[in-house]
Amino acid sequence: MPLGVNIMKTSLFLVIVLLSGAIAGAVHGGVNLAIVEPYLDTAIGIENQNLFASGEEEDTPEFWIEYDGYRTWQKGGQVLAGVILGISIGALFGIVFALSRQSLPGSNNVKKALILAGIMWLTIYFIPFLKYPANPPTVGDTETVVLRGILYLSFIAISGFGAMGFYKLSKKFERKAKLVSIIGYAAFITAVFLAMPENPDEISVSTNLVEGFRTASVLGVSSFWIVVAIMLGLLWDKLKPEQEITSSR
Amino acid sequence: MSESRQISVSKKGVPTIAILALGVIFAAGLFVVGFDQGHIFSLVYGEQAFDDLFIHELTHDMRHAAGFPCH
Ligand SMILES: [Zn+2]
Repeated sequence: MPLGVNIMKTSLFLVIVLLSGAIAGAVHGGVNLAIVEPYLDTAIGIENQNLFASGEEEDTPEFWIEYDGYRTWQKGGQVLAGVILGISIGALFGIVFALSRQSLPGSNNVKKALILAGIMWLTIYFIPFLKYPANPPTVGDTETVVLRGILYLSFIAISGFGAMGFYKLSKKFERKAKLVSIIGYAAFITAVFLAMPENPDEISVSTNLVEGFRTASVLGVSSFWIVVAIMLGLLWDKLKPEQEITSSR
Repeated sequence: MSESRQISVSKKGVPTIAILALGVIFAAGLFVVGFDQGHIFSLVYGEQAFDDLFIHELTHDMRHAAGFPCH
């Protein structure tokens, strides 16, 4: 036990974690409003035409009044939901950052946070996205939403815990620790990737729409990870939530 | 660890209570944005909430955009 023990100022730590998550989430929502919403409008437009064609809905003024009402609500929700999601993912990021900060490379907390955000973006967002990519409205079958939710969450959890496990394991190999954990994780996640069942839904809309939507979606989520890392790193460097307490004093 | 401060602290000097609080916030936020189908408001408004899907509509676009399964 070293003489100097770092004890964080609990409330300051919580505030900077939640604040950086909220700001990054608002940015994510704003980016989505600008680049994802056009694809959502197109997809929902197709969905409406399908509803008219099948006779489930009628193309009446009343339909469009109701439609405009909830679309406005949905779009307005984009930023609010971004803030909620940002606080949530930001909280996870804060936990992992606080626990791993001392072993992360980088000369300041912004660099450390960006490195961690890159690892988390890859392992709990981008690799799961490659397996279960985002889909615009009309693609998903309502019957399979619970199954798809379970598959997606399971893959994220397996990938995240897998990455953590290989990191812990790598500490046992003093030399080449990085290489061991990267190769180990890559082999592990490839096996899981191949073993997990595919998304059961068929894609019924044009490839252009789906691919455009997915690209915009990745840009939005990536903007979140970059902003949350920069904000948390900056606030950490500025406010220093860890406090040196020397027991010999 | 410092005896004078009654704060439970993990190995890395991070207060356990802070980790717990952030863990709860993470799970609750993820559920609301990613998976809620009216469950939260049904605590207050009962079954009607499942029909209205307030939170679902509010978080709907983000749910698609962030890659959560939806419709
Ligand atoms: Zn949907």
